[in-house]
Amino acid sequence: MKKLAFLLAFFLITNQAFSGSKEQEEPAGKKKFDAGKVIIDHILDAYDWHIADYGDTHISIPLPVILFYEGEGYFFFSHKFHHGKDAYKGFRIAADGPKKGRIIRVMDDGVTPDPNASFIFDLSITKNVFSIFISAVLLCWLLISVARSYAHCGPHRAPRGLSAFLEPLILFVRDDIARSAIPEDKVDRFLPYLLSLFFFIFFNNLLGLVPFFPGGANVTGSISVTLTLSLFTFMTLHLFANKEYWKHIFNTPGVPFWLKFPIPLMPVIELVGVFVKPVVLTLRLFANITAGHMIILGFVSLIFVLGAAGTVMGFAISPLSVIFVIFMNFLELLVAFIQAYVFTFFSAIFFGMAVPDEHH
Amino acid sequence: MELVTPGIGLIFWMTLSFGLVLLILRKFAWKPILSTIRERELYIAGSIRNSKRIQRELAELDATKEKLLLQAKDKAAEVVQQAKKEGDEIIIKAQQQAREEASKIIDNAKNSINAERKAAEREIRQQIVDLTVDVARKLLREEFTDNKKNNDYVEKLLGDIQLN
Repeated sequence: MKKLAFLLAFFLITNQAFSGSKEQEEPAGKKKFDAGKVIIDHILDAYDWHIADYGDTHISIPLPVILFYEGEGYFFFSHKFHHGKDAYKGFRIAADGPKKGRIIRVMDDGVTPDPNASFIFDLSITKNVFSIFISAVLLCWLLISVARSYAHCGPHRAPRGLSAFLEPLILFVRDDIARSAIPEDKVDRFLPYLLSLFFFIFFNNLLGLVPFFPGGANVTGSISVTLTLSLFTFMTLHLFANKEYWKHIFNTPGVPFWLKFPIPLMPVIELVGVFVKPVVLTLRLFANITAGHMIILGFVSLIFVLGAAGTVMGFAISPLSVIFVIFMNFLELLVAFIQAYVFTFFSAIFFGMAVPDEHH
Repeated sequence: MELVTPGIGLIFWMTLSFGLVLLILRKFAWKPILSTIRERELYIAGSIRNSKRIQRELAELDATKEKLLLQAKDKAAEVVQQAKKEGDEIIIKAQQQAREEASKIIDNAKNSINAERKAAEREIRQQIVDLTVDVARKLLREEFTDNKKNNDYVEKLLGDIQLN
């Protein structure tokens, strides 16, 4: 069975390689396969959900664009941009420049960026936003149905089905993350947040590895998302932080006084630490997930790069690429779990620091 | 560069969605799940404690049972011994009574036998006297006509016999 699945995957991807290289042949070298651009395009957010290319036809799901510009609201679907080729109502997806991939204001000719344009408040439902909606709904549905089965079966029966699958994870978060980092009597107030955080990251990491709709969006590899997550941790931390925590920052115990007065060296260091924590959380998750996606896309692109050089080469390299992609996918499954664990664990450690026991 | 520039729209929607997810999951998922798990853990811990207690009680009960059994055995032996002793006493008493009764009966018998014998002796003696007198009279009819003399003589003979 495993062998069969492997062969199937092999043929699917080599087929893709074949058609892919054919596509490269057809325009007769008109456009070269740019692996870097493909990879970045796949990792970045987008205004439509690209599904497949067939020849020159792009198949994609148009997503709503919501803009507020100079006090006026704009709402339309992203197919009006024709995959970034056209401008609509004076807006356009920037093809290059510092705002590449984002919506910019253009002059009447529909190409030149407007130099006097003010800030565009862009609340579009992009690919990542849409993916977040889907995963949020799925996650809620999944966990609430599990909660139902718990409520239904009661405490005197062993969990079964989905609950049996999720309970080790729940216990893992509770015992190995929350209880190991936070004082015993304060665990309960952080536990729902830590569990939601863990499952949200883990679920989105896994969805990110599914190469087709509704997966494939790089949600946890988007710096906006990881930044938001770490800001949630930051806010929760300071919402629950007690006196000891602030005392530890502004009057660190166990440190010689000349480090605190007249030059407040320790308080400055501690205060920097407060803001470094969320930044580190943001960057770690973002970098790990993005890097994984890049490597997988790199191996897939290798087929097309060499396929562009010669069909035989593309065929020759595809088994190797497929093996590496499969290997990387397994590694990414591991990373998906580890990064969810690490983010949650560090959040728990920060919470533990925010609510130290009053006696010491 | 666009890779590391946060987008305001994505942050807005992410904050909204994740906030909602947090609220919904806290109320509808984690509360029932965690409370059920905790309840189950308490139940299991309680069951283990209970089973340990029951085991201990069972062991205690076992010891008590053994002790009671031993006591009962002792008691039974004691009762049996007591019964035996009482039985023996009864037997001895009965035997004694029987013996007394028997000796009484024997004494009575002896007394009556003695009385009988004495009566019989008297009668026999009387008869012997009479017979002897008769025989003697028949033998000595001619020689001894004087009754008085005869009687004296016979009495004298009889006295000799008695002395013998």
